[in-house]
Amino acid sequence: MAALLSIRPAHAAIHHAALVIQHASGSVITRCVAFAEDQITGLQLVERSGVQHEEESFGSIGAAMCQLDREPSTVPPGCFGSGPYWQYFHRQGGGWQTSAFGASSSVLRDGDMDGWHYAIGANQAPGNVAFASVCGAPAAPPAAMATNHATPVATSTPAPTASLEAVAPSASPRPDAVLASTGPPTQPPKPTPMGPWLAFGSMAILLLALGAINLRRRAP
Amino acid sequence: MIRHPLAWGAWTTAALAAAFIDRNPYLQALLLLVVINVFLPYRGRRRAGTWKFALALALVPILFSAALSRFGQHVLFTLPAVPIIGGRWTLDAVAFGASTGFALLLTVAVFAVLQTAVHSADFVAILPRPLYRAGTTVALALAFAPKTLAAFQSIREARQLRGQRTGWRSAPALLLPLLLTTLERALQYGESLDARGFGSGRRSRYRPFRWTAPDVLVVVASVTAIVAIALLPVAPYNPYLDLVPAVPNPARLLAVGLLAVPAVSASLSRVDHARHHA
Repeated sequence: MAALLSIRPAHAAIHHAALVIQHASGSVITRCVAFAEDQITGLQLVERSGVQHEEESFGSIGAAMCQLDREPSTVPPGCFGSGPYWQYFHRQGGGWQTSAFGASSSVLRDGDMDGWHYAIGANQAPGNVAFASVCGAPAAPPAAMATNHATPVATSTPAPTASLEAVAPSASPRPDAVLASTGPPTQPPKPTPMGPWLAFGSMAILLLALGAINLRRRAP
Repeated sequence: MIRHPLAWGAWTTAALAAAFIDRNPYLQALLLLVVINVFLPYRGRRRAGTWKFALALALVPILFSAALSRFGQHVLFTLPAVPIIGGRWTLDAVAFGASTGFALLLTVAVFAVLQTAVHSADFVAILPRPLYRAGTTVALALAFAPKTLAAFQSIREARQLRGQRTGWRSAPALLLPLLLTTLERALQYGESLDARGFGSGRRSRYRPFRWTAPDVLVVVASVTAIVAIALLPVAPYNPYLDLVPAVPNPARLLAVGLLAVPAVSASLSRVDHARHHA
């Protein structure tokens, strides 16, 4: 993803992050959120997506997600209850990874994707969703982006709530269509900078040679 | 050879700063190489028994992190639902523990080098006047524990040579001579302090330290390294987000490399046959 970001032209002052919410029934809703900042938190992503949510603050630990898109129908006592709960994931490479932080302290940058799954038991990742199927191709120039977003105008598109969202209306394809698009998004080959490795290698060799010289000398 | 205690103090500060701040495994490996290189000219001066302690200390975080952390993508194996240790054991958690353990290992190694290269008396000698008495007392107190341990071992060896038992049951027979030896040593300390005029108000200087070119070079290199380590952007290593560590910043690599100056100067200096006793 880093390589994708680095080749993005400077015109990308508006960034995009994707949100995937999978209910216990298996139904999936996706949202694309545009933001002007360099980064937003996972909680801000949910807030700006306009999806109904209820969170509870746990002080310095952060906020916990108790209710998302009316699931569960009432907020359980103590936010989590004893059954299934909203599990929080980040998209990394081609898969979902359990978030090490809560939504209020996790960070999303341009091209990142968060996943929520209402499930019981640890590490129940949502279904596979590609970023491009939620937000369109990440590195697309403005013209291509416009055509991308022009296709499905309002079949299942939620009403844009935030003003920024109006800039880039999000498209939510049908759940089964989303789940069918598996596999990691194609990435251009990462250019590997040789300089640091050369510096590291030469310094290690120099130090080993120095050690050999000092070893040959008589110990004092 | 670097002799000035202040030069060693600067080097230790810089090396500790690097050990605490740099968590990139490549930088840590380079720092370990540097510390070993700095130690090599002083090997054999004192028995270095600290490496076992350092390795044990480095293993503890790995064990704790692997056993208690349930995050990460790269699952090694899954234990049944036993309280606390049950669940997924991940490579990410092991890497996180290893990174912490490596930092601890480096810290102990830096102090081991300092202890081997500089005599505590040299540090006391450069203390400012108001701190001199307190410094001498602290140095004597710190020297007390290893001296007592050495006395204990020699008494044990003496008993073994005579064919006597050395187990736990012989502890009383060991403790009495140990107590006598310690009291004897305390009296000797008192007499030697008295003979040197300790507490008479005036302070004599025996063989004052002179700044040599390598000493100055070490101080300059260490201060540069401290500034670079503190100011250059840090790329923290978080194995939970990305197991493969990021490419180290070349400037930070150079900053760690600067700490090898004592080893370079030792390899260039003539072999010091007249080993000094402080």
